[in-house]
Amino acid sequence: MRRSFFVFTLAIMALLLRSSAPAQDMASFEKRITVKVLKNGLTVILCERPEAPVFSFFTIVDAGAVQDPQGQSGMAHMFEHMAFKGTDRIGTTDYAKEKVALEKVDRAWAAYDHADRKQTGRDAKEVAVLKTAFDNAVEDANQYVIKNRFGEIVEREGGVGLNASTSMDSTQYFYSLPANRFEIWAYLESARFSNPVLREFYKERDVVHEERRLRTDSSPVGKMIEQFMAAAYTAHPYGRSGVGWPSELDHLTAPEAAQFYRKYYTPSNTVIALVGALKPEQVFPIVEKYFGPIPSGPKPEPLTTVEPDQFAERTVVMREKSQPFYIEGYHRPSDLDPDDAVYDVISDLVSQGRTSRLYRSMVRDQKIAAGAAGFSGLPGTKYPGLFSFFAIPLPGHTTQEMAQAIHEQIERLKNEDVSDEELQMVKTRTKANLIRQLANNQGLAIQLASSQQRYGDWRELFRSVDKIDKVTKADIRRVANKTFVAGNRTVAMIENDPAPPKAATADKQKEKH
Amino acid sequence: MSRRKILSTAVFIASLGLSALLAFAQTSTPAKPDAAKAVPQGEKQDLAAADLRAIKKPALPEFHPQQPKRIQLDNGMVIFLQEDHELPLIGMGINIRGGSKSEPENKAGLVSIYGSAWRTGGTKTRTGDQLDDLLATRAATLETNGSALSTFVSLSSLKGDFDFVLDLTNDLLRNPEFRQEKIDLAKDQIKTGISRRNDDLGQISGREANKIGYGARSPYARVPEYSTVAAITRQDLLDWHARYVHPNNIILGISGDFDSVAMEAKLRSLFGNWPKGPAVQVSPVPITPPTPGIYFVAKDDVNQSEIRMIAAGIRRDDPDYYAVDVMNHIFGGGFSSRLFSNLRTKAGLAYSVFGSVSAQFDHPGLTILGIGTKSGTTAQAIDGLYKEIEGMRTNPVTEEELRRGKEAILNSFVFEYDSRVKVMNAHSNYEFHGYPQDFLERYQKGIEKVTAADVDRVARKYLDKNKFAVLVVGKAADFDKPLSTFGPVTTLDITIPQPGAAAAAAGSAPAASNPEGKALLAKVLEGAGGAAKLRAIKSLREKSTITLKAQGMSVDADMTQLGDDKVHMKLNTPGGEMTMVVTPQAAFMSMAAMGDRDMPSSQRDDQLKALRRELWYIAQHSDDPQFIFFAQGKEKVGDIETLVLDITGGGQQLRWFVDPKSGHVLRAQFQGTSPTGPATEIVDYSDWKTVDGLSLPFHVESSLNGQPNMSAVISSYEFNPVVDASIFEKPAPK
Repeated sequence: MRRSFFVFTLAIMALLLRSSAPAQDMASFEKRITVKVLKNGLTVILCERPEAPVFSFFTIVDAGAVQDPQGQSGMAHMFEHMAFKGTDRIGTTDYAKEKVALEKVDRAWAAYDHADRKQTGRDAKEVAVLKTAFDNAVEDANQYVIKNRFGEIVEREGGVGLNASTSMDSTQYFYSLPANRFEIWAYLESARFSNPVLREFYKERDVVHEERRLRTDSSPVGKMIEQFMAAAYTAHPYGRSGVGWPSELDHLTAPEAAQFYRKYYTPSNTVIALVGALKPEQVFPIVEKYFGPIPSGPKPEPLTTVEPDQFAERTVVMREKSQPFYIEGYHRPSDLDPDDAVYDVISDLVSQGRTSRLYRSMVRDQKIAAGAAGFSGLPGTKYPGLFSFFAIPLPGHTTQEMAQAIHEQIERLKNEDVSDEELQMVKTRTKANLIRQLANNQGLAIQLASSQQRYGDWRELFRSVDKIDKVTKADIRRVANKTFVAGNRTVAMIENDPAPPKAATADKQKEKH
Repeated sequence: MSRRKILSTAVFIASLGLSALLAFAQTSTPAKPDAAKAVPQGEKQDLAAADLRAIKKPALPEFHPQQPKRIQLDNGMVIFLQEDHELPLIGMGINIRGGSKSEPENKAGLVSIYGSAWRTGGTKTRTGDQLDDLLATRAATLETNGSALSTFVSLSSLKGDFDFVLDLTNDLLRNPEFRQEKIDLAKDQIKTGISRRNDDLGQISGREANKIGYGARSPYARVPEYSTVAAITRQDLLDWHARYVHPNNIILGISGDFDSVAMEAKLRSLFGNWPKGPAVQVSPVPITPPTPGIYFVAKDDVNQSEIRMIAAGIRRDDPDYYAVDVMNHIFGGGFSSRLFSNLRTKAGLAYSVFGSVSAQFDHPGLTILGIGTKSGTTAQAIDGLYKEIEGMRTNPVTEEELRRGKEAILNSFVFEYDSRVKVMNAHSNYEFHGYPQDFLERYQKGIEKVTAADVDRVARKYLDKNKFAVLVVGKAADFDKPLSTFGPVTTLDITIPQPGAAAAAAGSAPAASNPEGKALLAKVLEGAGGAAKLRAIKSLREKSTITLKAQGMSVDADMTQLGDDKVHMKLNTPGGEMTMVVTPQAAFMSMAAMGDRDMPSSQRDDQLKALRRELWYIAQHSDDPQFIFFAQGKEKVGDIETLVLDITGGGQQLRWFVDPKSGHVLRAQFQGTSPTGPATEIVDYSDWKTVDGLSLPFHVESSLNGQPNMSAVISSYEFNPVVDASIFEKPAPK
């Protein structure tokens, strides 16, 4: 008797020790993290991680493709590209003259575009003349430009991982530098968000259009996902192309981009996280010096549009030369919803690794799919998004089989309690995965900035683990029954067709400049 | 939580190559600079230059990253230990010499399947599924992988679980089981990859550029095919393991929250008694430079072209390495490079543009330039790349460019060793390739010494327009100029060879019978009643009841076969009697309700192929030199460990699973056809009875891609009945 009691106690202790590990870390982070909100509303988080003399940062602006104005899809992403073009001091030999030249470019574009898009009475000769005038204006403005000067400075100072990305929900900028370049960073990052100059705008639009061709038009799955979103959303901008519909993308203008910038790139709409060998007493005076003078602006009002309830299933079928692919999505609430953690648990349960339900049922046992998963995040999480399931059929297996197998697993979620072991496994994994994400500067900066921006507190990163810990079997069944119903479903698939019917989908972009 | 979620989503999506769906980024790949007569940027000044000079740049504090401890066991195993107490985790990587570079060409994919099935196939005492469960409850990972030069075991766990996971790892190293079902699963995954490899422009251009660069059959370029994957057996994996996984062939690195002294003792006691194995000989792979010319791959469902220019590269121990690295930065590395500035920023031709001379540790890399541009500017982009190549040769790099390149490399040097695990991995890597442990310091000094003249010299040496092969993947009808403008065009056929089809032609199936294969065939013929009896069969009548599983329908069938290419079948279906006839001349179905209907030629060919899978047909060809009989090892069918015989001949490939005792073919596997396309068909035979001295199965079950397809219960066989040849003729139209 005595012996078995001892073993039992050991087991309990082991469990307790395991679950206490992340909490210790939260305490240790508490000591290393300083948060400051400047008078103009900018939030800066610093996390000290002194191991090596380097640091990383992550700047999030609370404006993504969702904020693209009507008729200007792609604008948030376009501005992200412009944030690499320099300022009135970076990348120009003579800003006073360049400014005049750039205004002329904008006027020349407007005149040309107006003449070119006349629905009646378009005068080809006039268009050609205005096109030449536009090209000349661009040429004239280019003489003042030092190309890619912003990136050049970052790279020469030893910067690595220089990049940015635009999602439906937000836009983010990031790179890493040696720690002794901190002030140079403050100079560059404050300048690009306080005095950006939208030079080379119209040429960069072509670059972005090539990005669209790469990721969407010439990628079967990219094309399918764009259609999937368009089908899943009736009113909310989540249904729009994030990189931009081709016709709108080709007509974005620099004055419109400037307007977008003024509205959304305000300090109160921005969070910056810094992680590395930096000290608060060194960082914050410099931050104050460079970012403090940026004028404050109102935090933009939240979006009014709420996606109306879906009441009918929608299906998109693409017949392509490429191999079949299946995805289906169900509307779910945003990541502020109390059930958010339940969706996280469901996602882990059905998708994570070789013990997941979709892997075991579809890949291992039925041998019909090469891979399958269920996840949140498409198109975003800030507004009600989708919980999506996808599967990649093995050769010879059909999208119908994918749908059927996924629906079997959904029915299990709805009708059977998950086992204690499964639930515990998910919870343990959530904790361990959080710890693994804390192991490098850039990863940590991403996590801290994201939590701070979304929830107003970086600690939410650690609290999310507690929320997952509280999820019950009943929660899983309740949420599955509420969400995974046919009327709330949108399906998209690629069906293989070696000779698909030709549609008039040629790339219609004209060579305009 | 949103970010966490997006990241985990990103992992799924990235696994599909879909990262773009979540977010559109600023750059995809490093871009390049321009060489033309542009004014060097350094000569233009902006106000930022003065601003930057005014900013204080404190000296970077002295930083001596903690070096790992290196030990070598008596059995040759090298171990690096690196303590790191930041987080309560321990990670370990075990690098084992020998990779796909050393796999046989006709088994391309072997190391990939080995790398997958090693872990999923479990150990002698634990199945892979059990390992999955044991690890998942501890949020630990233990994975195996294969690469070109090595195979790799990696594990990560919370520190409290490490001993447990280490035990599993040791079990996996010493007692792998490679269960057949997981080998099959790994093969399915590879086959999916094969079937999808022409869907994506980037994947096609990367693969074909490699083939042009090294030669299509080079171990550095070749890819698995259906036939090479089919040829891989469990025995191959066991043989590989026995040959390569020895302590003297292993470099192990461990980092994390442990005490080095205790950990060293633990690893010594665990691995110290592992006996040494034979040293691995890796034969060098001959490398020949690519053949210059214009190569084209047609892809009509895109509006963008992927262009690659390919020439020879260098090894990392080449004295030119440092100058090449600086040149790469100036030419094609980063935002301020010539390619990026001229072709992306200035010309707006591309989002993705890049180019560099690559330096590999063990073999010469390739010099590859690439650009993705809309179909209508394909020729313009080729001209653009040519101009940049020429520009590097004719416009010497400026002092300003040189400074920019060197500063970028030297100022970011600290990121080479900014974490302890990076430092350890670098040491492990140098050890693996036999490079000096101070390679990183030498590199730094080497870069410091590079001059403008050095860069010009290597630019002229490695960037020569006449030495580049040019590959274009895209839709030719929309190009701005035909590719022939640039020279004679070689069109590459990237059609995926279908399973079984023309495998011999592809050079991937066994080229000749092996003695074991011939012996096994003899055993099969003997077990069935003798070759002479089988060869004497000229016609056959067979009556059976066939059940179609999907339809849940049973029909009585009466089949008559004449020679090896005529078959007539009468079926009693619920809708009335139906007749099917297949000969090389005619293939049709007749039914009172619908009259005669021709079969599609594909269906006719399938039926004719089926006749050439019959035992008596194979018996006729047992001495035919056109037929290849290749024994492949053992595999379990039910409880019986069968001998596997691969047969190539009669225009197809067929695999038999033979009962070693009776010689009966218990299972046949081949490429069949499902309603949705090609599918793997497996036919199981049972209920053996003797008729006229021949031992024959009276029960047959077949499945397509693992789904039950049909079963047949045979009621009678009749050999050499008199057959009226007119039943194979199509009745004249009524």
